[in-house]
Amino acid sequence: MALTLIGLNHRTAPVDVRERLNVPESKIGESVRSLRGIDGVEGAAFLSTCNRAEAVVSSRTEDVIEHVVDWLALQAGTERASLEKHLYILRYADVVKHLFRVASGLDSMIVGEPQIGGQVRSAFHAARNAEALDPLLQQVFEQTLRVAKRVRTETALGEHAVSVPYAGVELARKIFGDLRGLQVLLLGAGEMSELTAEHLHQQNVKQVFVANRSFERAQELAARYSGTAVHFDRIDEHLASCDIVIASTGAPHHVVKVEAVQRALEARRRRHLFLIDLSVPRNIDPEVAKLDGAFLYNVDDLQSVADSNMEVRHEKAREAEQIVTREVDLFRQRVVAQDAVPTILELQQRLEELRASELEKCLRKVGPITPEQRAAIELLTTQMVNKILHYPILQLKQAPDEPAERESLRQTIRKIFGLR
Amino acid sequence: MMFDAADTLYLALALYALGTLIALGSLFTTDRRPQHAALIVMIGGFAVHTFWIGVICTRTGHPPLTNLPELAAFLSWTIFAVELGLYLRYRVYAAAFFVYPLVLLLLTVPAVLGEPFTHMDPSLRSGLFTAHILFATLGIAGLLIGLAFTTLAFMQDRALRSKKRGALWQWIPSLDVCRSLSYRLLATGFSVYTLGLIAGAMWSYRTTAGIIALHMKEMSAVIAWVLFAALLQTFISGAFRGKRTLYISGAAFVAIIVAILGIAHA
Repeated sequence: MALTLIGLNHRTAPVDVRERLNVPESKIGESVRSLRGIDGVEGAAFLSTCNRAEAVVSSRTEDVIEHVVDWLALQAGTERASLEKHLYILRYADVVKHLFRVASGLDSMIVGEPQIGGQVRSAFHAARNAEALDPLLQQVFEQTLRVAKRVRTETALGEHAVSVPYAGVELARKIFGDLRGLQVLLLGAGEMSELTAEHLHQQNVKQVFVANRSFERAQELAARYSGTAVHFDRIDEHLASCDIVIASTGAPHHVVKVEAVQRALEARRRRHLFLIDLSVPRNIDPEVAKLDGAFLYNVDDLQSVADSNMEVRHEKAREAEQIVTREVDLFRQRVVAQDAVPTILELQQRLEELRASELEKCLRKVGPITPEQRAAIELLTTQMVNKILHYPILQLKQAPDEPAERESLRQTIRKIFGLR
Repeated sequence: MMFDAADTLYLALALYALGTLIALGSLFTTDRRPQHAALIVMIGGFAVHTFWIGVICTRTGHPPLTNLPELAAFLSWTIFAVELGLYLRYRVYAAAFFVYPLVLLLLTVPAVLGEPFTHMDPSLRSGLFTAHILFATLGIAGLLIGLAFTTLAFMQDRALRSKKRGALWQWIPSLDVCRSLSYRLLATGFSVYTLGLIAGAMWSYRTTAGIIALHMKEMSAVIAWVLFAALLQTFISGAFRGKRTLYISGAAFVAIIVAILGIAHA
């Protein structure tokens, strides 16, 4: 069975091409059914994310490739020629390796991003629900998800934040642990601070207070996080009740003074205060960092956290690549061995029959012998047969990936040993 | 050579040593599996340790509380039991980096000093004495693990303040979790330890006709009590930050170890 993957991703195609092949999750089943309907396709799956679109098919021959390219052009609503230059075509073990890497996040735009694992799982489920998978593709996808899980468990790839807003959330977790029940004060409405607040909001913080020079803008933002707008001149009152303060006001001076934070900390007693200053010039007095219980990070600090996390990710990605390489090898061996099993069994049966009949003939000529002598001869002939079969079986198990080459090897061995 | 059930002490010691080595080795990897392996080996050691304590109780007819080797073994057992309970409840592993070596070191005491199968001095056959030892041991176990979390909280605070990751960064739980566990363990350990000291003072008062001796062991125990009280006070007053807390913790640890080592052979 031939295994082929045809697709494009963020490295081979610009966004205007990728978006043409972006299929919403609800319509993947329909797409995969039509892909499976192509003449000669035995099994099919279709992976569509904002950064990639890939059709994976298993077939008796490789003739289906042209049809799949046509199908992709049809899906994209474009000329085949204009799509073809962005496509890559992978075969056999390269398909398996590619899927293992994709699901593990190694082929993503941001190495190790965790969403892709879920997207591959969804593509697998959609194909299975559409009854588009054959045993080979079923096996490939199941193993892909296992490998992705193994990579994430063993390397913790993707555990550390690599963007400034996520770095803020990661640090908040290092201080407070569970973020539920915390209160956040957002000062100003910079893009980065909004993103950070958005991420914190997704972590189910208890309340988001928004203060802005324009109260209407504060109300607008607060509504987005189901929060509360507060007047800018009353932020000092909220410092004591909030656990995380994100400042990004665009003001040319310190909006949060060290004395105000000192008073807030005294009121908070043992509870910490995490302050994130994303503005340039800075809005939070840097002296705040010297106060016990206050943790102050500015945009450079967060960027440096994100950068060092990225280095860690690249290190872990190297470990992950080794795992993928080993897993591909094991999977390839397993599939080739499974393919060779019927021939091996036939071969063993044929030679055992020969051995048994020749032994009987020989023993008739020799005449009566003791049970010990018979056992010794049985052992000798069995070992000889095993020795003779050793290399042919090894060759069958280590056959090449390409089905045509494997078939040719099988036919040769069958001819040599006179199998039907 | 006949197998003696008492020799299981060395098996427990070997398993603890292996578990400790694996746990410390896991500091150099991001993989969590060595930590799970270390925990399983330590639980194996704990099971053997429990069997060995059972053997002592059967042979001597009393709990292993009469001399330094027995107490060190019992304290080691109690510390691991508390640590295991905490792990099962909170799934926080980082304290193991301190607790496992301590468990190993304490169990080394009976292995080095010889078999602790002594029969109990009649003066020690008292409910007050048993209460004194049991409460003091449980209290010390809580206090020592509390100190491990205090150290972790200090390390986390320093790392967050300096914006540099330390060796344990990825394994240390959040600052709030470290502080909260540290406080709970110290407060509970301190209360139980205080009960142990009171029971000990009462037993001493009764057996020595009103005279309470203050030798090195008793002095260290009282000093440790004062230092732990000071440590708890820093929590309650909100001053639990900075090097002062760490110095008090270090001094309290030394005092408690001196008190344990000061226990005379029966």
